[in-house]
Amino acid sequence: MIDAQLLVTGLIFGLSLGSIFFLMAVGLSLCFGLMRIISLDQLLYYSVGAYIAYSVSVTVGNLWLGLLVGMAVGGVAGLVVERVVFKRIYERDITFSMITSFGILIGGVGIIKHFWGVVPRPVAVPIDAQINIVGTVLPVYRLVVIAIALLVYFGIWLFLNKTIIGKAIRAGIEDVEHVEGLGIDVYRLFSITFIIAGALSALAGGLHAPLIMVDPQMGLEVLAFAFMIVIIGGLGSIKGTLVSSFLVGQVVSIGSLIYAPLAQMAPFAIMILILLFKPTGLYGSPLLKR
Amino acid sequence: MNILRWWWSLVLAFALVALVRVFLPLPFANEIMIFSIYTIGCNFLLGRVGFISFGQPAYLAIGAYAAAFYFYYFGTNPYVGILVGIAAGIVMSLAVGPMFVRLRSDYFALVNLALAVIIFFLMQKVLADITHGDNGLWFLTNLSPTPVLDLTRPDRFFIFAFLVGFVVWAFYKYLDDSIYGACCLGAKINDDKLRFLGYNNYHVRLLAFVIANTTTALAGAMYAVYLGFVSPEITSPARAADPVVVTILGGVGSLYGPLVGAIAYTGMKDVLSKVLGNWELIIGFLLVLIMLAGEKGIWGTLEPLLKKAFDRILPIGKLSESEGSNR
Repeated sequence: MIDAQLLVTGLIFGLSLGSIFFLMAVGLSLCFGLMRIISLDQLLYYSVGAYIAYSVSVTVGNLWLGLLVGMAVGGVAGLVVERVVFKRIYERDITFSMITSFGILIGGVGIIKHFWGVVPRPVAVPIDAQINIVGTVLPVYRLVVIAIALLVYFGIWLFLNKTIIGKAIRAGIEDVEHVEGLGIDVYRLFSITFIIAGALSALAGGLHAPLIMVDPQMGLEVLAFAFMIVIIGGLGSIKGTLVSSFLVGQVVSIGSLIYAPLAQMAPFAIMILILLFKPTGLYGSPLLKR
Repeated sequence: MNILRWWWSLVLAFALVALVRVFLPLPFANEIMIFSIYTIGCNFLLGRVGFISFGQPAYLAIGAYAAAFYFYYFGTNPYVGILVGIAAGIVMSLAVGPMFVRLRSDYFALVNLALAVIIFFLMQKVLADITHGDNGLWFLTNLSPTPVLDLTRPDRFFIFAFLVGFVVWAFYKYLDDSIYGACCLGAKINDDKLRFLGYNNYHVRLLAFVIANTTTALAGAMYAVYLGFVSPEITSPARAADPVVVTILGGVGSLYGPLVGAIAYTGMKDVLSKVLGNWELIIGFLLVLIMLAGEKGIWGTLEPLLKKAFDRILPIGKLSESEGSNR
C-alpha cells in the first residue's frame, strides 16, 4: 500500500501536471468551440514557449520574464498563423484544419531544430524553496504552477462572462451565424481567440520547462495527452477541459506510483470508457454541423 | 477487350513502378512498395470513407509485431509470418472498429492517434519483457529461405512486394468500382441519404475500417520480414503523420495517389535529409501548401492532364474516358 506522504506528493504532482495540461488544452478546446477547427499548432506554441523560457532564463536569469516573452511570441505566432493559414480554410471540413495544423506543427518542429538544435536542454527551477505540509515536503514551484492555472481559469471565466468580447465569443460558440447577423465581426473574434490560445499554450510550455527537459519533440510527446483531455472533457468546453486535465493529471501521477508503465495507458482506458457512455465527452454538447 | 479495359491502367502503373526498380537502388524500391501499401489504407479511409486516421502506425505496429513475435518465438517461414501479421490486423481492427467507427470523424482522428501512442507505450514499456523495449526484436537470422520466392533476399523480396502491391491495387480498384465502393463514398458525402437508400452505414464503415487497417497490418508484416527487426519506433507519435502526409501529397482518394506520394515522399526524405538534415520543416510546410492549394496533391493534379494528353496521342485514352463515365 502507498503511504500517506507519497500519496500527498503524488496528488500535488498530479495537480501541477493537470494545471499544465489545462493551459495547453484550453487553446485547442476554445478554437474548436468557436471556429470548429482542430488547431494542433497549439502544441507548437507550447514548445516555442518552453524554448523561449529556456533562452531568456539562460541569458537574463529570470524564468518569469521568459514566460511573459514566450506568451507574447505565442500570441503573435498564433495571430500570424491564423491570418495566413486558417483564414483561408474556415469554410472547409474539420479534417482539413487538422491536417493543415499538423503540417504547421511538424514544420515548426523543424524550425525549432534549426534554431536550438536537437539536444535536450535543462531549465533551472526558479523557486528552489520547499514547503512542509502535514509532514510532506513539497516544492513550492509546483504549487505556484497550480495557482497560475487556477488564476488563468478564473481569468478566462471573467473574460467570457463579464466582457462584451467574451460574451460575443461565448455566443459564437453557440451559433456563429447569429452572432454575425448581429453585426459583430466574427473574424476579429477568431483572431482574438487565437491570440489567447497561443499565449496560454506558450505559458503552459514555459511553466512545464523546469519540470522536464526541453527538446524539439516535446510538443509531439504531449500531443496524445492534449487529445485525450479535450476528448474526455468534450471539445469546446472550458469547464470540461479543467475537470479532465486534473483527472488525467491525477491518473498519470497516482498511476505511476502504483505501476509506472500503467500511467501512460490509464488515461486512454478512461477515454475509451467515457466515449462508450458519452460519445461527446463529459461536458461536450452535441455538435452543430457547420 | 473489356478485360483489358479494366486492367490497362493498373498494368501501366505497375510497369512504371518496375521501371523505378531498374533506375533506382533496390532499398529505395522496396521502401516505396511497402510504403505505398501502408498508405493505400489511409488513402481509402480518408478519400473514400471520410475518416482521417492519424492512427495508422498503430495497425502497422500490430502487423509488424505479430510477425515479429512469430519469427522470434515460434517459426521461421516468412510467408506464414506475413499471414500472422494480416490475421493480427483483422483481429485488432475487429476489436476496436465497432467502437471507433461510431465516432464522428474529428473524434475518430483523435482517438486513433491516442491508440497509436498507447501501442507505442505498450510495446516500449509495458510488454518490455517480450518486446525487449527500445532495443526491438532482431530475427533476421531466424528467417528460413523459402523455395519459390526467397523472401530473405532483398531482390526477391522486391518481386514479392511488387506482386502483393499489384494484388492490393487490383483489389482496391475493384472496391472503387463496386457498389460497396459507392456506398463508402456515400457514407463520406451524405450519411443520411445512404441510410435512406436502405444501407446500414455502420456496417459499411466497419468493413472499410477493417479492410484499410488489415492492408496497413500487411505492410507492417512486410516491414518486419524485409528489415528483420521491429522496434517501437515504427509507431512513435512523431511518425503518425507519415501516411497522412503521403496520402495528401499523392492526392486524396485517387487510386494511384499513394504510389506517387510514396515515391515523392521517400525520394524527398532521402535527398533532403542528406542535404539539410531538417526535412520536417520541408514536409510540414509542403503539407500546408498543398492543403491551401486545394488538397489535390501530385496525382490529383497530374491525372486530368495525363488523361487529356492520352486522348490526343493514343486511342486507348478514350478507354480512360469511358471508364471515367462509368463510375
